[in-house]
Parts: sequence; structure tokens; C-alpha cells
Amino acid sequence: MPRQPAGISLRSVGKTYRGRGKTVEALKDMNLECAPGSFTALIGPSGCGKSTAMRVALGLEGFDSGEVLISGQTPGQATAGGVTGVAFQDAALLPWRSVAKNVALPLEVLGRDVSKFSAEIAQLIDLVGLKGYENALPGELSGGMRQRVSIARSLITSPEVLFMDEPFGALDQIRRRQMNVELQRIWSETKSTALLVTHGIDEAIFLADQVVVMHADPGRVVDIIDVPFARPRHPDLFSNPEFHALTDRIAKVLHGE
Amino acid sequence: MGNSLTSLRLKSVRNLVILIIVWEIVGRMDWIAGGALPGLSEILTRLWIDRGDYPGHIWATVYASGLGFLIGNVLAIAAGIAFVLSPTLLRLMRGVNIAIFALPPIAIAPILVLTLSGMAPRVTLAALGVYFVTMSATVIGLSQYDTRSADLVRAYGGGNWLILKLVRIRGAIPDILSGLRIAAPNAVLGAILAEFGGGGRWGLGTYLLGSLGRGDPARLWGIGLVATLIAGLSYAIFAVISSRISGSTRSVTLNTAIPSSHGENAYGRSIQALILCGTITLPFVLWWAFIKLTGVPDLIAKTPHGVFEYLFLNDTSAIARGKLLAALGQTLPIAALGMIAGLAFAFLLAISSRMFPGFIKGFMPVALVTQTMPLVALTPLLVLILGRGYSVTLWITISVTFFPAFVLLVQGIQRVPQSVLDLPRAYGASAWTEMRMVSIPAALPYLFAATRLTVPRALLGVMIAEWLATGTGLGNLLNRSRGYLDYGMIWTVAAVSVLLSVAIYYLVLIVERRTLVRLGMQNVE
Ligand SMILES: Nc1ncnc2c1ncn2[C@@H]1O[C@H](COP(=O)(O)OP(=O)(O)OP(=O)(O)O)[C@@H](O)[C@H]1O
Ligand SMILES: [Mg+2]
Repeated sequence: MPRQPAGISLRSVGKTYRGRGKTVEALKDMNLECAPGSFTALIGPSGCGKSTAMRVALGLEGFDSGEVLISGQTPGQATAGGVTGVAFQDAALLPWRSVAKNVALPLEVLGRDVSKFSAEIAQLIDLVGLKGYENALPGELSGGMRQRVSIARSLITSPEVLFMDEPFGALDQIRRRQMNVELQRIWSETKSTALLVTHGIDEAIFLADQVVVMHADPGRVVDIIDVPFARPRHPDLFSNPEFHALTDRIAKVLHGE
Repeated sequence: MGNSLTSLRLKSVRNLVILIIVWEIVGRMDWIAGGALPGLSEILTRLWIDRGDYPGHIWATVYASGLGFLIGNVLAIAAGIAFVLSPTLLRLMRGVNIAIFALPPIAIAPILVLTLSGMAPRVTLAALGVYFVTMSATVIGLSQYDTRSADLVRAYGGGNWLILKLVRIRGAIPDILSGLRIAAPNAVLGAILAEFGGGGRWGLGTYLLGSLGRGDPARLWGIGLVATLIAGLSYAIFAVISSRISGSTRSVTLNTAIPSSHGENAYGRSIQALILCGTITLPFVLWWAFIKLTGVPDLIAKTPHGVFEYLFLNDTSAIARGKLLAALGQTLPIAALGMIAGLAFAFLLAISSRMFPGFIKGFMPVALVTQTMPLVALTPLLVLILGRGYSVTLWITISVTFFPAFVLLVQGIQRVPQSVLDLPRAYGASAWTEMRMVSIPAALPYLFAATRLTVPRALLGVMIAEWLATGTGLGNLLNRSRGYLDYGMIWTVAAVSVLLSVAIYYLVLIVERRTLVRLGMQNVE
């Protein structure tokens, strides 16, 4: 079979954490294929290895066996080449930098000339609804606003591949829905390959082309469910019967029924 | 809140006024030791009479301590960064770091005066006084960074250097500033001590030494006050800067992951043994290199080998050993006694602090001020009051151990969340049960840390008292050896006092590890 340059590709990846005395098999024979330009949601019970899979794909964590390719490159090459963008569960903003400077951080890490990107920075801050807060410090923002700064930051390098680990974890239900709609719009404009780690089944279905369900002990993929709804998806979808049917199906897989 | 703060301020002012009035009356009446404590007005009058003398002396002391502060801190911060980047280097240099931490400046002062000239001994001693504090503050600050921010930098392909530059250094600034704050008075103390031991015409230490024989308490008090003021001001400057800056650097959310210290066990047994060898020999290599670099003749400057020869191979070795052992026999018991008393007092006061919080609130500022007082300038004053017996040595030792230990212990207990402290109360526990279940376990790790940290101070206190007051023990041996030009003994006393405080440091550390492991607690650095 000829190899396609997939957006994200994890093949039979194994990863074991060796702590004092006990070992945790965080990933076992983990397979994940995300086609270029597709949106994948990764869902599973707490501790099943979702974050580990993402950290392995970003080269933040080594792995014991298997193969990991990001746009056909190793994780190290991909991150250093500015192919990837990332938003963590926690906003992880530097408290002494203004919103604009936090958004610019990946550019600095990649050694790009920040001054050439001032238009993009302003545009992204506007996109996440924080116009006027460019010079605010993270301490002056609410949890949800900080989260949006981190989304803007993940997009500043126009990444081919976008990783998000529960980016809306700190938001209330209404804000979360709004951000889901926003994220769909932003993503469809950027045409990137996206991987979203989440606990929300409705969020996963609303955003993703495929929902990947994982189970723990050892961390592995148990099912991949394609989401048939046409894009762009309207928030009305949340109250669509077919949507609910799919939600129930995924919930069953998730709970191992 | 605002109200209680103003009432606290008012109380402090009131207490201060009462103190000054009592001081004035007691001083005027010559009630203490036949006029050893003059009234404040008498001291100020004397200061006014002496006003022509002060500028030159103050300038010399400020210049030496300022330059030493600068040099010592630049080295300390650079070393801290290097240690964080290379844990192997940190382990290699551990011996040197501990030695610098443990060296009683008074024992080093004569050596520096012998080997260096001009302002250099003062600057060096001031720099040595600040190095350890700032270096360890830098390492702690750089080690406690937000691992999530570091992950972010790494997720864009950034390496250790970029993490250091973008995340860790800026995050460490509050810690470094609080290090500088504590280091500043140390620089002043170092400079004065070197002035004390090393001739020259200017400097508060020189002035003090020249005034000792004049039997004018008001003059001595004046010099002591000025020295304290300089040290206190240097502390205050950095306290203000750090409160200005640390407003925006506190992490927005709490980070629970502790950065792992890579490389602790990354090597095989043989390489670990090699590193340990390096750790132990490096201080001696530096000592040797220092002498070779300064080019001072062998007769005056003793290498490690020279000291060994002096103590064990020469004809006079037996006599030298006898003198040394006799001096140790006088110094160690009193140092131990003073330390134990000081620490016990601090521990008792700290664990009962929950019972009378008002007292602690009022007392903490006093404890902090005493931390900044240059010990050497205060000893003559205590001698005036307490005489030249053992009690003065004991009191000095108790006070130099009590105050830092107390501050450390109270801060340790304050780190325990209020809810944890309140929990036993909520179940109807008595004050004693609460103390046994919460306050004592919370304070115990800090008691050990305080013991380790105050060993060199206790030794310094005893030696200063012996030098200036009692004419016994190591301090006196050091002083007499300078008079007799007994260079071998000067180097020996310096080496022995450093080795001794390193040895006690490790002894406490071993006991501490055993005890805390048995009680299932963590030790604090
Ligand atoms: N640094 C580590 N050292 C040891 N074990 C770890 C480490 N990181 C994660 N683990 C273990 O690996 C397993 C998977 O963890 P992971 O963080 O990937 O879970 P997750 O699916 O992201 O969970 P959550 O939804 O709660 O974020 C867990 O059992 C966890 O205890
Ligand atoms: Mg996770």
C-alpha cells in the first residue's frame, strides 16, 4: 500500500511510563490516522492516554515502539519547522506578557521576525473576540478569555496541523457552544488538520469529521465513528434527532457497552 | 482590614515611642552596667560631634560593600544559571558552594588581608557574603517554573536555552530579588569584618576598632547605629524593588507539576563516584589555585599541603595541635549550647504562635530588623552591657541563631493553608492537640533547615565574641596568631572552622533525613 502524506499518523505506537515501582501502559498499539485538512476528535475516560497521544505526536514525550509522522515528518522536524500549532488544557500564558506578546510567543520560539506579524496578531485577537485587550496582562482576564488567548496563540503560525487538548475545559456551557461555532469557522478558514482532545461528546460530533474513542488500561483506540453532517454546521445541529442518536451511540462505545 | 492595619501601625509607633523614652531614661540614669547604655540623645550628640569623621568611613564601607555586592551577585547569578543548565556542574560544585556557605567570614578575613591588598580583601569578603544566598535563590527561582509554559515552548521546537530565556529567567526574578534583599546586609557585614581585620585608614570597621579603647560608649553606639542603618537601607531598597515587581509575576493558575531534576541518576556508578571525588577535591583545588594565582610567598600563604605540614609534620606541630584542640574545646561547647538554646526558644515560640498571633505580628518586624544588623558592630555594645564573661558569648550565639530560625519557622508554619490549621479546631480539638497534630509537624522540617543554616552564623557569633570580648577559643587564637605572625595557625583556624561547619551541616542533614523519612515528611532546602 503506497504511503500517503497524512496530516497526523500514529502507527502501532506503544508508550509505557515507568514510575517508582509501578509502570503505566499509557498507549498500546495505538493507531490514529487524520487525513490532511480533516478534523478529528479524540474522546475517552480520564487517564486513558489522550494527552499522552497528543504529547507523543508533538514530540514532547518519547515513545517505545511504532511510528509517528506529522505531515510526513518526525514530530521533532514538524514542530521545529512551524508545521504545528498547539493549545493546552490550561491556557499556560506567561503572566508577565501582554495578550499580544503571548500570542506572539510561538513566532519568537521559531525565530521569526515578530514585527512583521503585527497585522496577523491583531487580526487573531479580534477573531477570538478580544479586541481592545491587546495590552492586558493575563492576570486581568477571566479564565475563558485566557483560553481564547491560547487559541489565538495556537493559530499565529498558520499551522498545517493544529493540536488542542481540552481547550474549552474552563468554559461554561454557553461560552463553550459559542467557542465551538467560532472554532469551526476559524478552522474552515485555515484549512488545517485538527486534532481535538475533549470530554464532550456533543462538542466532538459538532466539530469533527471522525470521532476516535479510546479506552484505558492499556490506552488504546476502541472505535472510530465518522460524522456525516454537512458543513458548515449550524448550532441548531445540537438539537437535531440524528445528532442525538449519534451521541447515544458514542456514549455506548465510551462506556464499553 | 485597612482598619486593623492602621491600628497595627499606630501600635508599632506607640511601642517605638515607649521604647525610646525608656531607653532615654535608662541611659541618662546610667542604670545599665555603669553607663554602658547611653541615652539616645547622648548618642545623637556624640554623632553630631563626630560628624566630620563619618563621611570618609561611611564612603569606604559603602564603596567596598557595594562593589563586592555587585561582583558577588553577578558571579552568583551566572553560576545559578549554569547550575540549572547542567546538573552535573551543580553536583561538582556542591563542595565549593557548601564551603562558601559555611565559611565564617571572621576566619577568612585575616587570610584575605594576608594575600590581597588595598580594597581587595573587603570587596572579596563582601562578595563571598552575598554569593551563596543569591546563587541558591537563583537556582530555586529557575527550578520552580511553570512546566506548562515550558511545554508550549518545546511544542514549537524550542530547546532548553529558549525555555530559559522566555520562561524561566523572567519567572525567577522575584526569587532573585528576594535573594538580593537578604544578601545586601551580608555585603555590609563582610566589608566591615575585613576592615576590622586589615588595617587601612577608612571604613566603619576601622573606626570602630580605633574607638574600642577610648571607653566612650556613645561613640560605639553611634557607629553601631550607622552600620545598622546602612545595612537596613540596603535591605529596604531591594524589598521595595521586589514588591514593585512581583505584582505581575505570580503565576495566574497554580502549577502542580514539579520540574524533574534530570540527570540525577543518569550516570553509572563509576562516573557518580568520579563526580563525588571532584566535589570533595574541588574546594581544595580552588584554595591551592587561589594561592598560586595571588603569588604570595609560601611562608605567608599556606596551601592545603602547607596546613597539613604545619599540623602534623613540623617540629612545632605538637604544640600547634595542642593550641588548636584547647581552643576548640572552649569554642564548640559554648557554640552548641547557644545554638540549642536559640533554636529551642525559636521553635517553642513559633509553634505556639497560633495561640497569640498578635504578639507574633508585632515581633516579626523586630526579628527581621535584627537580621540586617551587622553583628560585628553590635558585639562591642553587648560587651559594654554584659561584660567580658561567657555570658556575652552565649547571648550573642543565642541571638544569632534565634532570629533567623524564628523567621524561617514562622514562615514555614504560615505556608500551611489556614483550612488545614483550622481542621482540628473544627472537630473540637484542644489547643495542645492542635499543636501536636498540625503546628509541630508543620514546623519540624523547618527546624532542621534552620539548624543547618545557622551553624556558620553560630560559629561566627562565638568567634567574634571570643575575639573582641572573652579572649578565649578559636576567635582569640586567630587574633593572637595575627599578632605573632603565626601564619600556619591563621590558615589552620580558617580551614578547621570551615571543615567544622561543613561537617556539622552534613551531620544535621543525615539526622534530618532519617527523622523526616521515619515521620514521612519532606525536607526543605
Ligand atoms: N509523566 C507521567 N509519568 C507517569 N505516568 C503518567 C505521566 N503522564 C501520564 N501518566 C499516566 O498515563 C496515563 C494516561 O495519562 P493521560 O494524561 O494521557 O490521560 P488523559 O486521557 O489525557 O486523561 P484526562 O482526560 O484526565 O486528561 C494515566 O494513567 C497517567 O497516570
Ligand atoms: Mg489529559
